[in-house]
Amino acid sequence: MDSTPGSSEYVTLVSGDGFEFIVPRSTACVSGTIRRMLDPSSRFSEAVTGRCVLENMSGLVLEKVCEYLCYNLKNKNQTNVPDMEIPPELCLELLMAADYLDT
Amino acid sequence: MADRRQTRNQIRGPQSALTDFLASNNISAAQISEDYQRRVREAERTAVADQATNSTEQNDPEGTSESPEQRKKRKRKETAALAKIKQSKEFARRKSRRTGEPGDDDDSMARDILSEQSRPMPGQLENCEICSKRFTVTPYSKTGPNGGLLCAKCSKDQANDDKKPKVKKAGPRIGRRQNQSNLLDGNAQQGASTLVESCIRKVADNINDIEEFGDLPSSLLHRLSQILSKRRALTPRTLNLFLRRELRSIDIYDTAKLETDDFQKIFTFMPDLNNVNLRFASQLKDRVLDYTMDRELKIEHLQIDSANLVSDTCWQRLLVKLGPDLKTLKLSNLDTSFNDETVGVMSRCCPGLRRLKLKQCWKMGDGSLQALGLLPSLEHLSLDFIQETDVEKLLDTIGQVGPRLRTLSLEGFPTADDRILEGIHNHCQHLTKLRFTSNSNCTDRIFSKLFTDWSNPALEFVDLSSTRDVDNANADGPADAIGLASQGFVALMNHSGRALQKLNISSCRHISREAFEEAFADDRVYPKLRELDVSFHTIMDDYLIGRIFRCCPSLTKLIAFACFNVQEARVPVGVALIGGLKAQDRIVVEGDQP
Repeated sequence: MDSTPGSSEYVTLVSGDGFEFIVPRSTACVSGTIRRMLDPSSRFSEAVTGRCVLENMSGLVLEKVCEYLCYNLKNKNQTNVPDMEIPPELCLELLMAADYLDT
Repeated sequence: MADRRQTRNQIRGPQSALTDFLASNNISAAQISEDYQRRVREAERTAVADQATNSTEQNDPEGTSESPEQRKKRKRKETAALAKIKQSKEFARRKSRRTGEPGDDDDSMARDILSEQSRPMPGQLENCEICSKRFTVTPYSKTGPNGGLLCAKCSKDQANDDKKPKVKKAGPRIGRRQNQSNLLDGNAQQGASTLVESCIRKVADNINDIEEFGDLPSSLLHRLSQILSKRRALTPRTLNLFLRRELRSIDIYDTAKLETDDFQKIFTFMPDLNNVNLRFASQLKDRVLDYTMDRELKIEHLQIDSANLVSDTCWQRLLVKLGPDLKTLKLSNLDTSFNDETVGVMSRCCPGLRRLKLKQCWKMGDGSLQALGLLPSLEHLSLDFIQETDVEKLLDTIGQVGPRLRTLSLEGFPTADDRILEGIHNHCQHLTKLRFTSNSNCTDRIFSKLFTDWSNPALEFVDLSSTRDVDNANADGPADAIGLASQGFVALMNHSGRALQKLNISSCRHISREAFEEAFADDRVYPKLRELDVSFHTIMDDYLIGRIFRCCPSLTKLIAFACFNVQEARVPVGVALIGGLKAQDRIVVEGDQP
């Protein structure tokens, strides 16, 4: 993927209310939806610009999503990994987001 | 000193009785102390001289004067004490902890312990090693970094320091109990669980604070229902969260806490219901089902468990009403209703029925079996009878519905014999799932015949558990093996091995080691096999388990209860090995496969 021109090491995730999160490409690709968005062969605008706008998520939720993406990558090949800490007031929104992002 | 002795008789402070007595006998305490000091100085001088000539005394810590005999004696004592320490547990523990550190030979470590042992006893005074304050030694005084004792405050500080890094070290790991629980669920995945799964669990944890689910998709609701049911947290209140007008399906796995009106509410709130799945529906009554019929619901898939307050006449009315639409019917644990007559009504009124599961329905007998044969479009049939049935009737039914069947599950037919398997061989050509369990009549020969030259394509799901001879006096069974044994097993793997996804052969205890070795030989691969149950096969050992892992690259769950020879099996990453002797110890998975 890195050999394709225009695919940089970092990508930007943008929330509906304009917060931007710059994360490593490998981290973002933990999410199936974002992975397909960024797939160079898809020729989506996200793949060209390396910028995914997630209109349906607030900055708060997207921040938590990014935290999970890192958490998932960090614990990739480990056993007995506990669930990430999720604030209860966020869990329903986060659940919808997670379902959408296929993570 | 001499001056003070002269002035002694003029001004006297308080004196002890002993000093008075000694003075009266012309013995001076000061004189004694002076003599002692002199002797010590002399001894020091000789000791220095000795050290120069005798290098073996370098380590003499006391440096006091003693005769050669005394020194020899003390040395001997010390050597004995050191030898004793070297054999002690404490020494072994320290040594294992400190191996690798330079300059730590046995002698110096033993000497450390010896000096620790000779430190002040509780109640005596000592200077703190860190803050140099004088304090009283207690049994709780801690040892400082250099082996000295610490005062109460410094002990406390050090205890706190000890605690902190330990907490960090434990880190974010789930406990052994949770780990075993996951393993039993067949979940041996690596890495964090998906965010969806964690969120659902979190939602379930906080279910009582949630007002509504919003527009959560149906698939997530289903998973939530499963978790809440497992935790027995589905109450009339939480049920309301699941009632959404636009949804066409409801799955509640535990309705035991719901009242009759709650059931009615389900059908009131969800008029478009197409799929209804209610388990443990003990308060489901006739009037709820009558109401459902009045509402003209178009239910196609109906699964109800333990609805024992519903009468036979009501079941019949329901079957007549829903019959033309009904595609799936799964009923279980009905003790007081659903008799042969009702089954007769079902077979007449439900021509579109494709999937039928009737389990543990006490009233069903031969009449039901006969009626089932009349269902014209049946594709999936699962039966678990309580009453004993006639083999001929079952054979007739298989003959009638067999050719269309994709699933055939027969449990609770203890009287079934070779004719049944022969019937399956002759009539069924489209099966993907076959279950035939708890039988001790069918012979190995007929099992082998079933899977040999069978026009049916390879099966994906096979459960032949507990087909074996039961005779306490003859554990090995008769010479002509009963149940799925060596021949049958090899024939099964030859026939279905390439497509098998789930295989349960637990308690088929006449399968020989040779048969397993043949089925899991080097050149055999079962590419799709995900779950295998080999419980109660006493010939299973580490070698055979290893062969299984090698031949089944997709395996995720291997159940091996009571396989007493499976002790040190190397479990590949991502596979849950359940059961066995040392289940707790074998959590650590080792990479064995690419």
